[in-house]
Amino acid sequence: MDLILQAAIIGILTGGVYALMASGLTLTFGVMEIINIGQGALVILGAYLIYVLEQKLHLDLFVGLLITMPLMFGFGLLIEWAFVRPLKRDRIMLSILVTFGVALVIEGLLGLIFTTDLVRLQAWYTTASFQVAGFYLSYIYVFGFLLSVVLLAALYFLIYRTKFGASLRALMENRTAAQLIGIPVERVSAITFGIGVALTAAGGMAFGATNSFNPGSSYDLISRLLVIIVLGGMGSLGGALIASVLMLVIEDVTAVIWSPIWSTTVFFIVLVIVLLVRPQGLFGQVAGRKQ
Amino acid sequence: MLLNLTNVVAGYGGSDVLQGVNLAVEDGSITCIVGPNGAGKSTVLRVVSGLLRPRTGEITYNGRSIAGMNPRQILSLGIVQVAQNHSVFPKMTVRENVRLGAFMLSDRALVNRRLEEVEEMFPVVKERANDKAGSLSGGQQRLVEFARCLMLDPQLILLDEPSMGLDPKTLRQVFERVKAMQQGGRTILLVEQNARAGLGISNHGVVMESGRVRLEGSHEDVLSNPEISQLYLGGTISAAPKTSIS
Repeated sequence: MDLILQAAIIGILTGGVYALMASGLTLTFGVMEIINIGQGALVILGAYLIYVLEQKLHLDLFVGLLITMPLMFGFGLLIEWAFVRPLKRDRIMLSILVTFGVALVIEGLLGLIFTTDLVRLQAWYTTASFQVAGFYLSYIYVFGFLLSVVLLAALYFLIYRTKFGASLRALMENRTAAQLIGIPVERVSAITFGIGVALTAAGGMAFGATNSFNPGSSYDLISRLLVIIVLGGMGSLGGALIASVLMLVIEDVTAVIWSPIWSTTVFFIVLVIVLLVRPQGLFGQVAGRKQ
Repeated sequence: MLLNLTNVVAGYGGSDVLQGVNLAVEDGSITCIVGPNGAGKSTVLRVVSGLLRPRTGEITYNGRSIAGMNPRQILSLGIVQVAQNHSVFPKMTVRENVRLGAFMLSDRALVNRRLEEVEEMFPVVKERANDKAGSLSGGQQRLVEFARCLMLDPQLILLDEPSMGLDPKTLRQVFERVKAMQQGGRTILLVEQNARAGLGISNHGVVMESGRVRLEGSHEDVLSNPEISQLYLGGTISAAPKTSIS
C-alpha cells in the first residue's frame, strides 16, 4: 500500500512538470488554433541550454532558467513570426507540418552539436532525497513540482488578472469579436506563442534533471503532451493540469501494482474510455462554438 | 453623408462577394440593408469594419478614405461593429465583456465613467454584472453586445442581424434599444434578414442581391415595393440596374 501511495505522490509531482510543458501547447492551440508539434523538441532544446550553462558556466539549474526562459521566449516570437503567422488558412493542418519541420531542424542541430549520446542535468538535488511520513522523495521531483506551481500560478495571474490576459481569453473564445473590439490579434498570438515556448525552457530543465535525454527524446515527449491536451480538452489549461497528473499517476501506480510494461497501455485505455464519453476531452468545448 | 461606398469589390478566396457596391449612409440615420442569403449584406459590414480588405473601390468616412484600414484603425475613427450571432465572450462575466469594449482606451477613469453610462442605458449590465455572459438569454446577450460597443462612444454602429434567434417580444425590445442608440446621436448601419422589422425602424432601406445594391429608398418605399415580397418568396428582382425609389 505504501508503495502505491508513494507511486501516486511521484505521479502527482511529475504530473505537475508535464502540466507545465503541456500548458504552453494547449494555450497556443486555444488562442491561435494551431498545434505546435515542435513543443517536444523545444523542451529538449530548453534542457540542452541549461546543460550548456551548467557545464560551461557551472550555473545552478534553476538560476539558469533566468537566462533560458527569456531566450526561449524570444525564440518563440521568432518561430511565430517566421513560420506560423504566414499560415492564413488550414492553420491546424499546416501548423502541424510547419512545426514538425521546425522540430526536425532543432533535432538535427542538437544532434550535430551534442551527438546522440544520452546526457542528464546534474546538481546536488538531482540525486539527493529526503524522508517525509515514511516516504522517500527526491528533491528534484519536489523542486520541479514547486517550480511548476509557481509558473502555473504566474500564468493564471497573467491570464485572469491582467488586461493582456483578458484579451487572450477573448481571443480564445471568439476571434472575430476580439478583432472587432480592437484586440491586436497578431501581437497577442505572438506573445502567447512566446510564453508557450518559454514554458518549455522550464519544463526542459525539470525533464532533463529527472531523465537522461538526447535530441531524439522529443518524440516520446510530444506524443505524451498531445495525449495530455486531448484528454484535458484542447485549449483548456485546467484540463491540461488535471490530465497531466492523471496520466502520470495512472502510469506510476500501474507500474507498481502490475508492471511498467502495462503502465502506458492502462493510461491509453482510460483515455479511450474518457473520449468515448466526452469526445471533447475532460474540459474541452464542443466544436463549433467559436466563430 | 457620413459613410460612402463607391464601386466596392470584395470577397473571399477567388470569388467576389461584393461586385461593385455603391452605398451612402446619412449622419444620424438608421440605414437597413436587406436581401436574400448570400447577397453580400454582412460582407458590406466586414469591409467597413476592416475585417475584410476591399479588392477595389473606395470607402470614405467623414470624407476620409478608410478602405484597407485594419479593425483597430477603424475603431479609433469611431466605427464599431456588433458581429452576427452571439459575439459575447461566453465564459467571461458580463462586466468583463463590457469593459473589453474599451480595450483601446487607457484612461481608467474614462472607462469607469463610460461603464456607468452604459449600465444606466442597459440595466442588465449592472444586474447581471458578475454572471457569465453565456448564461444570459439571447436577447440579453444582444444588449450586452450593444453596451460593449458603446464603450468607445462610437459615431457609427454596424449591426449584423441583431434579430437572429430572438422571439418577437425580445426582438421588439432589442430594436427599441437600436432606436434609442440612434436617438442618442449615433448612426446605425443595420443588416437584417427580418426585412420588415429592420426596415420598420429605419430611415433608409437598401436591398442587395448577388453582391450589388438593387433597390434603395425610404423604408416605406422599400417595404411597399412589390419586388421585395417576390424576393423573399424565393424570386429575384427583375430590374437589373440600381433603382432609386425615393
